[in-house]
Amino acid sequence: MSSRIGKHRVRFLLWVFFMAGWFGADAQQFLGSRMEAMNAEAGQSLIGVERVAVSEDWALLEAAVPNLGLDDEVKWVRLTLDPRSESGQLIEIQNAGIDELTGFMVCDGKVVASYERGVIDQHNWDESLGTYPTFPIPLVECNELVALFRMKSAKPILLPVRIAGPREVLRDSHQRDVLFAAYFGVILVMLLYNLFLFFSVGDRSYLEYSLFILMIGGTQFVLNGYGSFFQVDAFPWLNLRITHFFGVFSGLTTIVFVQNFLRLSRYVPWLHKLLNFYFVVYLVAFVLAAAGQLIWSYNLINFCAVAIFFFIPGAIITMRKGYSPAKYFLLAFTVFILAVLVFVLKDAGIIPYNQWTFFALPLGSAIEMVLLSLALASRITQLKKESAVAREEQLRISQLNERMVREQNTVLEERVRDRTADLEEMNSTMRSTLEELQTAQQQLVQSEKLASIGQLTAGIAHELNNPINFVSSSAQSLRRDFQDMNSVVDSVKSLNPESEDLSASVVAIKQQLAQLDIEFTQKEIDELLKGIEDGTTRTSEIVKGLRIFSRMDGDNFIQAQLNELIESTLIILRSNLKDSAVVQCDLAADLPPVTCQPGRLNQVFMNIVTNAAQAMEGLGRDAEENVVMVKTSRVESIGQSWAEVRIKDCGVGMSETVKSQIFDPFFTTKQVGEGTGLGLSIVTGILSDHNAEVEVESEEGVGTEFIIRFPL
Amino acid sequence: MINVLYLDDEAHNLTAFRAAFRRDFQVHVTTEPTEAVRILRDQPIEVIISDQKMPKLSGVEFFELIMPDYPDPVRMLLTGHADIDAVIDAINKGQIYKYISKPWNEVELKGLVQEAADLFHHRRTMASEGAQLMDRMSEARVHAARIHRMTEVNASLTEEQTGEIARMSSEIIRLLG
Repeated sequence: MSSRIGKHRVRFLLWVFFMAGWFGADAQQFLGSRMEAMNAEAGQSLIGVERVAVSEDWALLEAAVPNLGLDDEVKWVRLTLDPRSESGQLIEIQNAGIDELTGFMVCDGKVVASYERGVIDQHNWDESLGTYPTFPIPLVECNELVALFRMKSAKPILLPVRIAGPREVLRDSHQRDVLFAAYFGVILVMLLYNLFLFFSVGDRSYLEYSLFILMIGGTQFVLNGYGSFFQVDAFPWLNLRITHFFGVFSGLTTIVFVQNFLRLSRYVPWLHKLLNFYFVVYLVAFVLAAAGQLIWSYNLINFCAVAIFFFIPGAIITMRKGYSPAKYFLLAFTVFILAVLVFVLKDAGIIPYNQWTFFALPLGSAIEMVLLSLALASRITQLKKESAVAREEQLRISQLNERMVREQNTVLEERVRDRTADLEEMNSTMRSTLEELQTAQQQLVQSEKLASIGQLTAGIAHELNNPINFVSSSAQSLRRDFQDMNSVVDSVKSLNPESEDLSASVVAIKQQLAQLDIEFTQKEIDELLKGIEDGTTRTSEIVKGLRIFSRMDGDNFIQAQLNELIESTLIILRSNLKDSAVVQCDLAADLPPVTCQPGRLNQVFMNIVTNAAQAMEGLGRDAEENVVMVKTSRVESIGQSWAEVRIKDCGVGMSETVKSQIFDPFFTTKQVGEGTGLGLSIVTGILSDHNAEVEVESEEGVGTEFIIRFPL
Repeated sequence: MINVLYLDDEAHNLTAFRAAFRRDFQVHVTTEPTEAVRILRDQPIEVIISDQKMPKLSGVEFFELIMPDYPDPVRMLLTGHADIDAVIDAINKGQIYKYISKPWNEVELKGLVQEAADLFHHRRTMASEGAQLMDRMSEARVHAARIHRMTEVNASLTEEQTGEIARMSSEIIRLLG
């Protein structure tokens, strides 16, 4: 579809070309060969138009359309007229860009008319016909009629001069107007069309293209004398420079447009940089023009115009790299460059100067613009395609991503599953380890318990063995003593008061008594009985203590007297402590009973008192000096009543480091094998079950005090 | 009568011991180790019995203490319960003869004390007999030396000399038993 439309467009363009050619087909006769020019220096020295007219320094110009070149000197041109045939007609100079242009009509050495037709005098040529300066040839009787032109311009002075009747001039002017109107129409349509596109599509290249069109059109406008249309002559400063400015701006917009259209920075970086250079040169030309250096400015603009030739290789390279809009661009600029070539060749006089060659440039630029418009459309299509491709690519990538994410998810899930399984396995391992640990801990606690029971048993065995020993031994000794006594009693019983040898019997008994050392025996019996009583008391005391100590309802919370518990513990410990320490008690009689587990509390007291005794061993002191103070009292603290137990020794004491660790399981200061390191950790466990508070005060070399408070 | 010393911190044990054995032995009892040393010095003690568990020093320590000065009396350790460390110490350091546990069996203890006393006397007899034997040995060695000298000096012995040698030889045989 689009290619068919493209074909139609091309056909239309060819038709326009053909039509333009037809319009310009009416060849004109230019009078270059009849004109003479005076070199500048000669002209300077002559004063007065008449003197110039009759000077001998004239040189014949040869070209049909002479080119007087570009400099800031005054130039004189003479055209000898035929007074008979040419009077009443018009001399037309088809160049609207000459800054200063004065025409003089000299009849037989006398100036009969003069006309100001320069750019700076545009307001003076209202009577001129058409857009080009015209000079009416006066109807005078002369032998010799000469037209003199004085010119000065900051643009090249090209002189397509003809003599024609007013009707002809007007007709051609109208024809040209129509052509330019068509041209400007094309420009305007393109401008509006692209501006509209810019505003609707928002693509920057449309704006650039619009500016490009505006500047190219504007250049044609002023070059062809339509500047007055915009009343530029009201601003003389601008009026003089407007051609330069349009030249600069059309160059700049072209560079920007081409750079972006061909994406030179991407496809042909070297050209992009080169165009940047030209951009700068254009700016310099602009500054020069603004500063009044118009000739230099014009030269620079001309120099920059060469840049246009780089567009062709740039477009080819871009096209080769697969950027299809470059095709249209290439075509457009080829046409334009051809038009420019025709224009330049015409100016150089190589090809004839006629309507056709003259109109080549606007026609070329019109075609160029139309083609560029197509190129732009193609570019947009390309961009759309590219963006569609990009979208597709994006879609593909996103799909790919999605797939990858899905795959990764699967992998991740698998990993998570594996990891979870690992964790579960680890968990179960840890659980079993924990169970093992708990079992081990229970066993340790149990063994600690058993150890204390063993200690206890040994103590009790010893404590019981002593009284049992002396009670049983005493009983046997008593039996013997009483046998002795009985033998005396028997002797006494056998005494017969009536017997005459009573005194002898008494003596015998006395002897028996002495022999038996009966006084000693009596004393001994006393001692033995006392020992037996004592032994019995102690035994029963121990048994009572044992009962209190080992109460197996110890794991139930009951009301119990702390003092009683402590005493029983001390009884049990007595034999263990006997060779190492003495215990002094200060037990408050008014201490109310405490809700506790007696069996477990006994373990606490036994542990702490044993530790206290052990802390004083090996200090080289007598056992009497190793005092363990056990004190109970009722205290009020933090608005509450407490039963306080203080157990204090005067042993080695502890450092802060040791003190901070004593309740940690397995921490011990004893030799390996002597302690499990569990005693005090069990004690804390038991005390925390009683909501009791434990405080330890210790100083190295002074001793340690355990303060335990039970809530009442 | 056998002289027995009994050291125990429990006075009732001392009373019971004395009451049990005063008829058989010469019993010396005390609760104080220093007193015990004094008794050892003053009395011809043959058997020492000590309790192991005492406040100031243990039985083994007491035996260690007295051994250098009074090595001869036979030592026996009396204790409330079997403490393997105490037993090891008693044997290695205290060089005790017997280890007795409370409560004691009177008959057994009596027998042990008598055995200990026998050992004491046997050792003493052995010692004195040994000393006698040594005396005789040295006397015999003197005779032998004389015989040796005589045979060395003279190749031919007089009849008188031969008779003396025979006499001395029989004396040596007698001395050596």
